[in-house]
Amino acid sequence: MNYNETQLIAIKDFLYKIADDQLIIGHRNSEWTGLGPLVEEDIAFSSIAQDKIGQAQHIYEILHSLGEADADTIAFTRSAADFKSCHLVEYPIGEYDFSLMRNFLFNHAEKIRFEMLADTSLEQLGKLARKYRGEIKYHTMHADTWVKQLGRANEESHARMQTALNETFNLALGIFEESEYAGELKKMGIFEGEVILQQKWIEAITPILEAATLVIPDKNTWQPVYGGRKGYHTEYLEPMLVEMGEVFRLDPKAEW
Amino acid sequence: MYGNAQIDSKDKAKSLTEGEDPIKLAEFEARIIRGEKIEPKDWMPAAYRKQLIRMIEQHAHSEIIGALPEGTWITRAPGFRRKLALMAKVQDEVGHAQLLYSAAETLGKTREDMINDLINGKSKYSNVFNYPAMTWADTAIIAWLIDAGAIINQVTNSKGSYGPYCRALERICSEESFHLKYGHDNVVFLSTGTQQQREMVQDALNRWWTPIMHFHGPPDKVSQHTEVLMRWKVKMASNDDMRYRFLDEYVPKIWDLGLTIPDPKLRKNEETGVWDYTEPDWEEFKRVINGDGPCNKERLQVRRWAEEKGAWVRRALLKAESKYTIPLA
Amino acid sequence: MSSIDPRINRLNLPENNDGKEVLDELEQWETYEVFHQKKRGDQHVHVGIVHAANPELAIIMAKEAFGRRRQTANLWVVKSSAVTATDYDDQDIFETTPEKTYREASDYYCMDRIRKYQQEHGIKDRKEDRRKKKESV
Repeated sequence: MNYNETQLIAIKDFLYKIADDQLIIGHRNSEWTGLGPLVEEDIAFSSIAQDKIGQAQHIYEILHSLGEADADTIAFTRSAADFKSCHLVEYPIGEYDFSLMRNFLFNHAEKIRFEMLADTSLEQLGKLARKYRGEIKYHTMHADTWVKQLGRANEESHARMQTALNETFNLALGIFEESEYAGELKKMGIFEGEVILQQKWIEAITPILEAATLVIPDKNTWQPVYGGRKGYHTEYLEPMLVEMGEVFRLDPKAEW
Repeated sequence: MYGNAQIDSKDKAKSLTEGEDPIKLAEFEARIIRGEKIEPKDWMPAAYRKQLIRMIEQHAHSEIIGALPEGTWITRAPGFRRKLALMAKVQDEVGHAQLLYSAAETLGKTREDMINDLINGKSKYSNVFNYPAMTWADTAIIAWLIDAGAIINQVTNSKGSYGPYCRALERICSEESFHLKYGHDNVVFLSTGTQQQREMVQDALNRWWTPIMHFHGPPDKVSQHTEVLMRWKVKMASNDDMRYRFLDEYVPKIWDLGLTIPDPKLRKNEETGVWDYTEPDWEEFKRVINGDGPCNKERLQVRRWAEEKGAWVRRALLKAESKYTIPLA
Repeated sequence: MSSIDPRINRLNLPENNDGKEVLDELEQWETYEVFHQKKRGDQHVHVGIVHAANPELAIIMAKEAFGRRRQTANLWVVKSSAVTATDYDDQDIFETTPEKTYREASDYYCMDRIRKYQQEHGIKDRKEDRRKKKESV
C-alpha cells in the first residue's frame, strides 16, 4: 500500500512506541538473568525478556522497510528524546514484586494490543501480531500465576504486591497515552485507539487482581503518567540507553 | 562449564572402599564394568556417593556462578543478534545449574544445603569464574574457549557411571554446542574486524590464557584414589589428558585467526605428539580457588543477594504440610 | 561493593556478609517430575524435575526449563512423592526366560505345513502364479 506523508508519520510513530516499550521492558527484565528467586524462575523470566526484545527487533525491521534506519542503529544509537516508550518500562528493576507487577500490567496491555492488531490493515504488523500470540500468551500466564499466588499467599507477599500495584498503576496508565495521530490510524484501519485498549485492559486485569485479593486504586485517584510517547522520559532512560549502546557505539560502523 | 573430579585432601588417608560390604561392592563394580549405569536408589559405596555429590554440586555451582562473568555484559551486548544470543547463553548456564542441582539431589543432598554451602564458601566452583570479564571481548573468549574446555570435560564425563549425571550432561552438551559456535563466531568477528576490535580480542585472550590453562585443574598425582575413581567411572580422564585434548583442538583454531597465545613455549612436539607449554602458575590457582581471586567476594555476594532477595517469594508459597522427597531421576 | 557490571552496581551489595545460612529447609519447595510429549501421538517421556510450590507453578516453570529448546505438544508434572516405582534390586523380576518363545511372533511359522497339505490335496498355491509371472517379466 502507498501511504502519504502524514500517514507514514502516523504509522512510524505507532510502531516506534510499541517496539520501544518492548525493547526497554525486555532489557530491564534481562537484568534479572542469574539473579532470580529460583533457578527455574530465572530461566522463565529470561525467556520472557528474550521474547520481548525479539519482538521489538521485528517491529524495527518493519520500520526499516518503511525507510527508517536498520534495527540495530534504531535500537542502539538513538538518544532518549527519540524514544517513544512509556515511563512504566523505564524504571530500574527494583525488587521482584515491582518487576513482576510491571510485567503483569504490561503483558496484558500488550496481549490485547496484539489481538486488536491481528486484522490491522498494516499487513506486516498483522502477521507479526498473529505470529507472537503464543509467546505473549505464555507471558500473561506466567504473570497471572505469580500475581494470583503471591497476592494471597501471606501477609508480606500480599502487602508487597499491593504496594507494587499502587506504585505501577499510574505508570501503566501511561501506556495508553493517546497519540496525535490516533484519528489517522483509525481511518486507515490500522488501530482502533488507546481508549478502547485501556478499557479492555481494565476488564482483563480486574478479575485476576480480584482473585489475587489486590485492589486497583480508586478511579478518582488515577493520574496517568504521560509524556513518554512524546519523547519526555524518566531520568532512568538516558543512562540505560548509554549503557545498552556502550559497546555498539564504540564503533557503530564495525560489525560486532 | 566446569573442571574435573578432585580428591579432597581430608579423604586422602582413608581407603575409598574401607568398611564396605565386599559382596555388594563386587556387584556394584561388576555393573560398572558391564557398562551399566548406576541409578539413584542403587546401593553404592559411601565414597562414590560423596565424590559424586561433590563433583555434581561443584559443577552446578560453576554454572550458576558462571552466569555472572558473562552476565557482566548482558546489558551492553552490541546489536540485537549478540544481545539475544548472550541472554540465551547465560540463561542456558542457569538452566544447566537447574539440571545439575537436580542430578545431585538424587544422591541425597538438598538444593537448599547446596546453595547454603555455596554462599558460605563451603563448597567450591570452577576457579575461572573468579576472574572479571573486563571488556565485551572477554565474553567472546569465555564463550568460545572456556566453553570448549567445558565441553571436552562434559562429553567425557557423560560416559561416566551415574545415570542422572550422564542424562543431565547429554542435554547440557547439546546446548553447549550453541555456546561454542556463538563464542567462536564472536571471536571471529572481532579478530577479523577493525583494529580496535582486534586489539580488544587479543587483550582478552592474554587475560584469559592463564585461567584457560587452569581450567582442567592441576596435573593429577597418580594415587590409589584416582585409580578407584577411574574404575568407578567417576573420574573419566586425567586433567592433563583433557588439557591436551583442548590444546590439540583449539590452539590451531586460535592461530588460524592470527591471534597470539601468550606463551612462547607453546608448540606441538611433532615427534612425540605432545604439547609443550609453560606450566601456568599453580600457586595462583590455589590462591584463587581458596578465596583470594579478583572476583570471589563479589560472586558470592551476588548469589547471597539473589537468594536473600528471593526469600520472600519462596517463603510466601511454602506450605506447612510440604514434605521433602528425593526426586526420582 | 563496586563492580564492573553496571547491573550488579545497581544492587548496592554490601562489602561483607553476616555468614548466615540463607535458605531454610524446603525453601526451594518440593519437586515435580516432568513428562514431555514432543508431538501429538507421541508418548510422554520423563525429562527431569522442577522445583515448584504447587502444580500450577510447576507447569509454568517446566514450560521454559524443558520446552524452550525442543518441540513440545504437551507437558505433565507429577509431584515426585506421588510416584511409586519398582526397586532396582527387583530388576530381576523383569528377566524373561528364553523358553517363552510362545509369545514371540517369530516363533510362529506354518508354511511348510500348509504346502504339504496343499500338495496332498491338490490345492493350488496362490503365490506360485505370482512368482511365475514375476520371473517371465
